Amino acid sequence: MPSAIAIEETKSIPRRSRRFPVGLLIVGLAILGAVIYLVYANTQASAAYYLTVKELRQCTSCNTRSVRVSGNVQAGSIVKDEKTNTLRFTIVEGGQTLQVVYSGVVPDIFKDGVQVVVEGHYTGSDPFQAQTLLAKCPSKFQTGTPTP
Amino acid sequence: MYFSELGFISLILAALFAVLTLVLAVIGAWKKRSQYTSSARHGALVVAAFLVLATAALVISFITHDFGVRYVTEHSSRSMPWYYVWAALYGGQEGSLLFWSFSLGLFTSLFVLTYKRAPAVLVPYVIATLMGIQLFLVLMLLTVSNPFVRLTAIPADGVGLNPLLLDPGMLLHPPLLLLGFMSFSLPYAFAVAAMISGHLNSEWLRAIRRWTLASWAIQSAGLLVGAWWAYHVLGWGGYWGWDPVENAALLPWLTSSAFLHSTMVQERRGMLKVWNLFLVIASFALTIFGTFEVRSGLISSVHSFAYSDIGGFFLVFLAVVIVFSTGLFLFRLPRLRPDQEFDSIVSREGVFLLNNFLLLGITFATLWGMLFPLLSSALNKQMMTVGPPFYNGVNGPLFALLILAMGVGPLLAWRRTSTSVIWRNIGVPLVLAALCAIILPLCGITNVLANIAFSICAFTGAAILYELWRGARVRHKHGESYPVAVFMLFKRYRQRYGGYIVHLGLVFLAIGVIASQFFQIQHDVTLKVGQQTEIAGYQLVFLGNLQQEETGKTVVTAQFQIWRDGKLLKYIYPGREVYHKMDQPVSKIEITTFGLNDLYVFLNDWDGPTKVGVRLFMNPLVPLIWYGGGLMLLGGLLCWWPAAQQGSRVRSQRRMSVPEKDEKQSAEVAV
Repeated sequence: MPSAIAIEETKSIPRRSRRFPVGLLIVGLAILGAVIYLVYANTQASAAYYLTVKELRQCTSCNTRSVRVSGNVQAGSIVKDEKTNTLRFTIVEGGQTLQVVYSGVVPDIFKDGVQVVVEGHYTGSDPFQAQTLLAKCPSKFQTGTPTP
Repeated sequence: MYFSELGFISLILAALFAVLTLVLAVIGAWKKRSQYTSSARHGALVVAAFLVLATAALVISFITHDFGVRYVTEHSSRSMPWYYVWAALYGGQEGSLLFWSFSLGLFTSLFVLTYKRAPAVLVPYVIATLMGIQLFLVLMLLTVSNPFVRLTAIPADGVGLNPLLLDPGMLLHPPLLLLGFMSFSLPYAFAVAAMISGHLNSEWLRAIRRWTLASWAIQSAGLLVGAWWAYHVLGWGGYWGWDPVENAALLPWLTSSAFLHSTMVQERRGMLKVWNLFLVIASFALTIFGTFEVRSGLISSVHSFAYSDIGGFFLVFLAVVIVFSTGLFLFRLPRLRPDQEFDSIVSREGVFLLNNFLLLGITFATLWGMLFPLLSSALNKQMMTVGPPFYNGVNGPLFALLILAMGVGPLLAWRRTSTSVIWRNIGVPLVLAALCAIILPLCGITNVLANIAFSICAFTGAAILYELWRGARVRHKHGESYPVAVFMLFKRYRQRYGGYIVHLGLVFLAIGVIASQFFQIQHDVTLKVGQQTEIAGYQLVFLGNLQQEETGKTVVTAQFQIWRDGKLLKYIYPGREVYHKMDQPVSKIEITTFGLNDLYVFLNDWDGPTKVGVRLFMNPLVPLIWYGGGLMLLGGLLCWWPAAQQGSRVRSQRRMSVPEKDEKQSAEVAV
């Protein structure tokens, strides 16, 4: 191990030509490359379109890629099929309506008039097959955890 | 006169004193007159006192049910238990902003009371910066986000808090995160002070190391309690959903974790000065960004906050912070030359830098995911989003590398490490990790990714314990018994071994995350009375539903028996409460822990007394997440805990000498 005095000297004397930390650069670039690759590949794989109902109707590539659509649940449109455990309802957004079929856990606050986000594939005709159903809390009550 | 009016007056006075203190501090710094700085210190305490008064006024308004105050009406009701009435203080935007301002006041007072520990030149600048931030908050409270607004017609009862918030988690999670967020102001204030005054040696860093450690620990606790709350209340069987709001709280945690490592490199070797300054500024900027992001409603989240215009103000504040900091940064860049240069990547500082790259990589990826909807709609004219698979796919491998680096780092010496020493240090953990990789498939874990992830955890866990054992053995040879030797190690090299405890905690946490990520079992089923279902070897028998009317709410409870191997283990009662006033149900989730595995039962649906739909999860090793998290906090506390009281000069000398001893000891160990 070099003595501590040598370290002190480098501080006081004028700077020598910079040694290039090659190993560091290689590792740094490798990590940078890995991060960029991971971000790129995963974005490609899992990005979902966020569309309005109107845009969804005109979408041509929506059966290959996951799509998110949001809107309000039309009053009186919720029909529950006990046998197959599926839920049918209509969402309204910007004057356009969309029929949705969903089976799975229904959020606690799901009911008429609530704003929902559905995600799934769209084959070009109704109903929309939703894989996930998210309901947003009505902002009137300032719901949700108040983290900053 | 109402208490709310008193609160408002306190806020006005706090604002006035903040301006006064700011001016005094700037004059004190400019003219180098200590009497001005001394007045500024007192001024800062006065500001804090008025904020305590304002907060007390709001608390009293809550406790006395003064529904003339709009904020009180909107966030509490007479039927709420007193402790939730108290918690309603930060249940909404105005109140949480007041709580922020209050906690910044507390932190400022703490700084003022311990100002002698900090380099004297920096003190006025630190106070001025803190007052600048405080002034912004108080002005927001006085104008756009005033919690003391009174209603003209006083209602008989309030609306009450959202039932999802009526949970013990509410008493801890929001205040911890609010405190954590605000505490990043102090390191930032020090960074600004160092940049303006030009005292950019490692003194300012040493002064903020413990502040940052405290911020880090509070933030960790907040994140952990948040995860626990989500797990117990939300009913989707998970604890972390990569929601934009969770991410906003994670970002400063990541950058401050990076800082806590790279600051050691600057203290020891005088390198990474630019980098450290950048991390401190970034941590603070990310907290402001998080607040803006959450409050602006710009990004959709399951945490829906009331959308309000305060987001815009935070954006302006963020812009000011970034422009101001970057300006100072560029101005001081010529003086931020490193004292020494890197010798080798195979060294402690090399791995620290690696760890920083990884943490920043995770920060970048998370930020990318959060901003992707905005980026894609700006670039592609088409809004796109990414969900949890994106974050898991990117951050999973990066975290695995991070944990690997965590195992290797402490085994390397500063400057450079010879190959023979590396092999000697790494041999045992490597063999144990290999054993783990071989044994796991024999136990039925055939998933390759999970195996790699577990083996990395085994490596790092073994490396930490092996290091601890070798340290104890050296002391044992000098005549100490093993328990005494371990105790002495922790006593003498508290920061080093505290760090190991944090790492060990993170390893446990990671094991819990990996297990529940790869091996969670989910089972949806509809049952009639007397029918049973099975999950992971446990039989659940449905006995019926019960509906009860309680004050203000209807409670539905399903009853189940859990059996295993013909033995009745437990009765469980998953249920749902519907609050009449809110018209929003809250789930009562039953989580039964068998060994280290959680049986998680969520009541999905019911039909009369005889039919039920439940969602069952078997979540393996999830309790390890809470134990590991607790261990991390303990380690953080160990690192943070002040050294035994001595004169400040002696202390600073001791600080210089401890690392040397540390080094000697590890050299001794390596031999």
